[in-house]
Amino acid sequence: MKIVRKAQAGTMQSSDLMVFLEPAPQLRVEIDSTVKKQFEHLIRRQVEAVLDRLSITSGVIRISDRGALDYAIAARLETGLFRACADQKESL
Amino acid sequence: MVVRLINERDRQLARQLVEENGFTFEEDYDLLFGKFEDGKLVATAARDHNVFKMICIRESHRGGPCLGELITALIDSCTYTDIRNFFIFTTLENRSTFQHLNFTPLVTHGNVCLLEYGHGLPNYLQQHRALQKNGSNGAVVVNCNPFTLGHRYLIEAAAAQVDHLYVFVVREDRSLFPFDVRMALVREGTADLGNVSVLDTSDYAVSHVTFPGYFLKEGDDRLQLQMEIDLLLFARHIAPFFGITHRFIGNEPFCRTTRSYNETMPDVLGAEGIRTIQLERKLSGDAPISAFRVRKALRNEDYEALRKLVPATTLKYLRSTDGRKLLTSNKNYRRRH
Repeated sequence: MKIVRKAQAGTMQSSDLMVFLEPAPQLRVEIDSTVKKQFEHLIRRQVEAVLDRLSITSGVIRISDRGALDYAIAARLETGLFRACADQKESL
Repeated sequence: MVVRLINERDRQLARQLVEENGFTFEEDYDLLFGKFEDGKLVATAARDHNVFKMICIRESHRGGPCLGELITALIDSCTYTDIRNFFIFTTLENRSTFQHLNFTPLVTHGNVCLLEYGHGLPNYLQQHRALQKNGSNGAVVVNCNPFTLGHRYLIEAAAAQVDHLYVFVVREDRSLFPFDVRMALVREGTADLGNVSVLDTSDYAVSHVTFPGYFLKEGDDRLQLQMEIDLLLFARHIAPFFGITHRFIGNEPFCRTTRSYNETMPDVLGAEGIRTIQLERKLSGDAPISAFRVRKALRNEDYEALRKLVPATTLKYLRSTDGRKLLTSNKNYRRRH
């Protein structure tokens, strides 16, 4: 899949996260988190796993996390990606 | 659920809540939000372009999910805009509350704190990494509405005193000449100066965020605080990145707001180790050259006078088809900047 439009998903509630997506020539992942110091590497790993699975190779992905668990991160990111990508059929 | 407050009754409820919390209800917002419970307004918040303001939650509802809901609604309202970074002014005691919502403090000054959501400032600096120069550098921040011989003189005189001069053109599009035009005219008008770089201020100097008063009417008491925050942001984030040790200004005979900005500058920047150097304005006839004077001459279509006030590059633009289109809007333009 390819990010072709701006999209976002999630909320800024505690234990949730917001995902912001935009088309861009290269892939860039920016992570903000209230627990960045402790868990940035785990958040990044989870984000990269979802991107790999959906073969996303370009776009700006901004994560604003408030201590979400790994499945919440995956779910919000997938939702955001489905909104941002043109062809949703070939996904999953 | 957080909803948009549209009708007059809801607006009055929001006003009450804001005033009960000891804040002023500011009319200059784009969108107003609120949360009702049992028919009572328990929380409210507003957005003015990229600034979130008047965030108030009833005492009984603090510490719960209200703030997260409000912030989500405010951010969601920007989904289909080109706004990516959001700003908030708050007091020192509430700073950490917003840090827990991933806001980053940019400037803390006395009891007031300016925070940003998103990586706007670091991204802005990174974009201009190629312009970083060693040495003792200078800066001018200019609106150039439009670029005059006065600006040219200021930039040339400043550039002669430093290793490299950064010319920051105010990004905010509230002037007669659109940003792209102002930027292009500054670039063209300074192209022959080897040690000058022209860049935009983005949201980070004399902008709607850092210094809204510059674009408003004079005499607002929040003005002083805004100026200080604007200058501190410059001194603590922008100046160190570009190695700026001197900031140049032209003396200001006309505008009170600009004059008090200039008067505030030496103290605030001085404390941060940056010298302010005020230069005398260039005269034409027996009066200083100003963009205000240029717009006046333009309104009268007095091209003979314009020739003495602006460089050839600007004059060429003023006489072009695009430039002549601005003439019409200029007839009704009454603002100082």
